[in-house]
Amino acid sequence: MLKMSNIKKVFRTEVVETHALRDFSLHVKEGEFVAVTGPSGSGKTTFLNIAGLLETFTDGDYLLDGVDVRNLNDNQRSQLRNEKIGFIFQSFNLIPDLNLFDNVDVPLRYRTMNSKERKERIEHALETVGLVNRMKHIPSQLSGGQQQRVAIARALAGSPRFLLADEPTGNLDSEMAESVMSLLEDINSKGTTIIMVTHDLKLAQRTPRAIAVKDGRVTELSHVVEPVIDIATAKPAMA
Amino acid sequence: MQIRPILSALSRNKTGAILIALQIALTMTIIVNSVFMIQDRRGQMDRASGIDEANTFIYSYSGFAEDFNEKTQIPEDLNYIRQLPGVVDAVQTNSAPLTGGGWSMGLATEQGADADGVGTAIYFVDSHGLDAFGVNLLAGRNFTPDEVIWRERSETKWPGQGIITKELASDMFDGDWQAALGKTVFIAETHPINIVGIVEKMQAPWNGWNGIERTLLFPSQLLFGSGRVMVRTEPGERDRLMREVEEGLVANYDGRLIRRVQSMEEIRENSYRNHNGMNTILTTLIVCLTVITALGIVGLASFSVNRRKKQIGTRRALGARKIDIMRYFMLENFLITSFGVIVGAGMTIGLNMLLVNALDLPKLDWYYVPAGMVVLWLIGQLAVYGPAKKACQISPALATRSV
Repeated sequence: MLKMSNIKKVFRTEVVETHALRDFSLHVKEGEFVAVTGPSGSGKTTFLNIAGLLETFTDGDYLLDGVDVRNLNDNQRSQLRNEKIGFIFQSFNLIPDLNLFDNVDVPLRYRTMNSKERKERIEHALETVGLVNRMKHIPSQLSGGQQQRVAIARALAGSPRFLLADEPTGNLDSEMAESVMSLLEDINSKGTTIIMVTHDLKLAQRTPRAIAVKDGRVTELSHVVEPVIDIATAKPAMA
Repeated sequence: MQIRPILSALSRNKTGAILIALQIALTMTIIVNSVFMIQDRRGQMDRASGIDEANTFIYSYSGFAEDFNEKTQIPEDLNYIRQLPGVVDAVQTNSAPLTGGGWSMGLATEQGADADGVGTAIYFVDSHGLDAFGVNLLAGRNFTPDEVIWRERSETKWPGQGIITKELASDMFDGDWQAALGKTVFIAETHPINIVGIVEKMQAPWNGWNGIERTLLFPSQLLFGSGRVMVRTEPGERDRLMREVEEGLVANYDGRLIRRVQSMEEIRENSYRNHNGMNTILTTLIVCLTVITALGIVGLASFSVNRRKKQIGTRRALGARKIDIMRYFMLENFLITSFGVIVGAGMTIGLNMLLVNALDLPKLDWYYVPAGMVVLWLIGQLAVYGPAKKACQISPALATRSV
């Protein structure tokens, strides 16, 4: 599904080179739910951006659903993102001027899909997150948890092969975070691959698999079992 | 097409869009009417006067010496000029096209105070008039020397013959200009004039008069103490002869003042100086308004791009290509501009109606409004291109940043 091998990402300015990822390797199989944790500045977001084709990488190999993304141009990357990846962002990233229906419609409009099919998909996605009766509302009329549900509906509407979630519960209180996490588990149980970047070790504990990132490398690769391992500080256990 | 969501988004952030749309509407109103006024003035300036302007000059004389005898001196002057090499002909006259000063009277096809008259300019000339002005005789004949009479300033009688322009003939005889030849018309209510000739074109002296193409030539030489002489030369001889004639006349007799020796080109330029000035002002206004409006669009679009950076990054992350982002902003601007030009079309017609009523300007030709709309659309699209280009360079990775 997603196979990264020895990925390097270097940010260069005139005076400094920053190695955001160093020999980053990860293989995520179809249907997995993987949590990615690590301290701030560890390279989690860079990994997420590269995994989601939002950024290019400096070296290494990356196969997404069998497609070697290394030499894709900007348009091809956009198309691949649109068709195969659903994004869930920490701050929801809903478009404040559009109602829920139009927000969920955003990624679908970049496909050659007729309006009838789009409407069916939007209604189905909003139904999945329990907000179909509020599709004419604008985001500011919803709670944070509801907004994140809309973002999940937007990510699901295009039937992506996998979801990339960037701190999906980071801006939510515990009750809403629980609700969103349950929703993601439910989505995963239906076969969608999910990679979730999170600081929250309790959430990471709930996923079948978690990895830790430190200094741009995968430092821990394990299934999370009780008791909770502090994977941010744990020593490398697996190659 | 994203028209509905764009309209929906605009409806929630109307202020900036409405202000720009109104600016576009106002700009269109002023630009279209200004362009129309410029074109109208240019049309007036491009009208042919009917005389041989390129090879003609005119001078004024004014007798001041006690021995100045206009009845002998003017024929003497004219004979002197006519025999100069390079001169085609010369004539004493009261005025000439584009000079801005002259006579006008009413002509009627019937006698009496109640008869409907047509206003016409009057030029007094002798039998050299047609040649000296270089006008084209379409029908009839020139004046004969024996028809030419001397006319004092206080004279109230009128000559019995006249040559009129085709336009005047047409206005007096219901569009059938040829019917005028040989007919008798009346000046000063009762005085009959036999139309002996019809010339193709010869403008009145006043460029702003709506009867500028209506002119009547009378066979008279003037004894007013001062007057004008029109001289027509062979091509390329005018400038030399302007100097030579002035010097020769003064050398021959110094009891009259020769002044304002001007080519018809200079007279035309002076005549349309106000038109040129107004056109320059209107052109400057158009350029300024266009630049201000374009800057307004650039400003709104740039503000919009900066305000929506995260949104653009999100759209890119969700699959929008650069061209999709570009299209979004171009389409958004097109919709704002469309609103502006539709309002502007109404305002343009309204302002024109106002100008027609208040300033007697002509009615706007129908194609000015759609042409103005297209131009404003183009200005809008050009103005938004830069900000839109900047927008599409925003990285999709911005979606995951906390900005």
